[in-house]
Amino acid sequence: MNKLHPWLIVIIRILLGIIFIYASYDKILDPGKFARDIANYHLIPMGFENLIALIIPWLELFIGIGLVAGLMVDGASMISGGLMALFIIFILQATLRGFNIECGCGLKEGEMVGWNKILENLVFLGASYLVWQRQQKLFELFPKTPLSD
Amino acid sequence: MSSKQQVTFIITISVLVGLISNLVRTDAISWMAEPIEVVKNVNDVLLTLSEPEIREIDLEMAKSLHETGLLFVDARAEEYLSDGMIPGAIANDDVGLLSEQIEYLIGYEKGFVVYCSDDDCGSSKELAYELQDFGFMNIFVFKGGWKSWTDAGLEVETHE
Repeated sequence: MNKLHPWLIVIIRILLGIIFIYASYDKILDPGKFARDIANYHLIPMGFENLIALIIPWLELFIGIGLVAGLMVDGASMISGGLMALFIIFILQATLRGFNIECGCGLKEGEMVGWNKILENLVFLGASYLVWQRQQKLFELFPKTPLSD
Repeated sequence: MSSKQQVTFIITISVLVGLISNLVRTDAISWMAEPIEVVKNVNDVLLTLSEPEIREIDLEMAKSLHETGLLFVDARAEEYLSDGMIPGAIANDDVGLLSEQIEYLIGYEKGFVVYCSDDDCGSSKELAYELQDFGFMNIFVFKGGWKSWTDAGLEVETHE
């Protein structure tokens, strides 16, 4: 299913992990701002954006560490894919509704929602899928697997 | 450890760390977001506050406050300002310089209004929180902003 070279998958895995770690940093430092960014999407009811803003950045950090260090890569890549699908839905509905709001993605300050962000997240979704469907588990610490077949 | 167990473990750890970190940090946020208070009475605007506040106003209140000469701050990005601004409004993409400008014009205690493009833009609220961090006490977010102002046919100011 996955014809890419196993080493390329390892590189994709590590890059994806670094992106998640980087994206989590500002959100962990300022969950209040991230909560307001979430609220601007007008999708979360009853003030739940604060709870979400407290949890998602840590989730991003832990799956980022997992992907970089090779810890629970199956779980991390599945959550990564799930998060990306969720982000795409959020950004897509905001774009279609014509909202002129900050993405809150955590990669670059002041980035607005739009088709470019949807495309970017589709690439990350694809990368998550490639890692999840990898055939060889190279450089993965836990669950312990051989270095190569 | 199966994939499902890994997913459960990662999510559980994230929830626990996220919630516990909010208990110990000095800038903790409330568990649930509370809606911003909407001001309906002009007299409430003129009160001197002991605690910094960000409150919301509608078009009618924005009109009244504009007539009283309250300062308006445009939170839209620079490229949108060529469409025009609410008369007398100031804007600056650099929030540090903007805060110096506001402080020079009205000081930290007096109220002022922040607006952006429409109901859903969010940048007025974001700027309001950033300016609050600079020490401004009494900030009003004009819900509806530029769109509701121009839809109502109110005067605008354009700059070359």
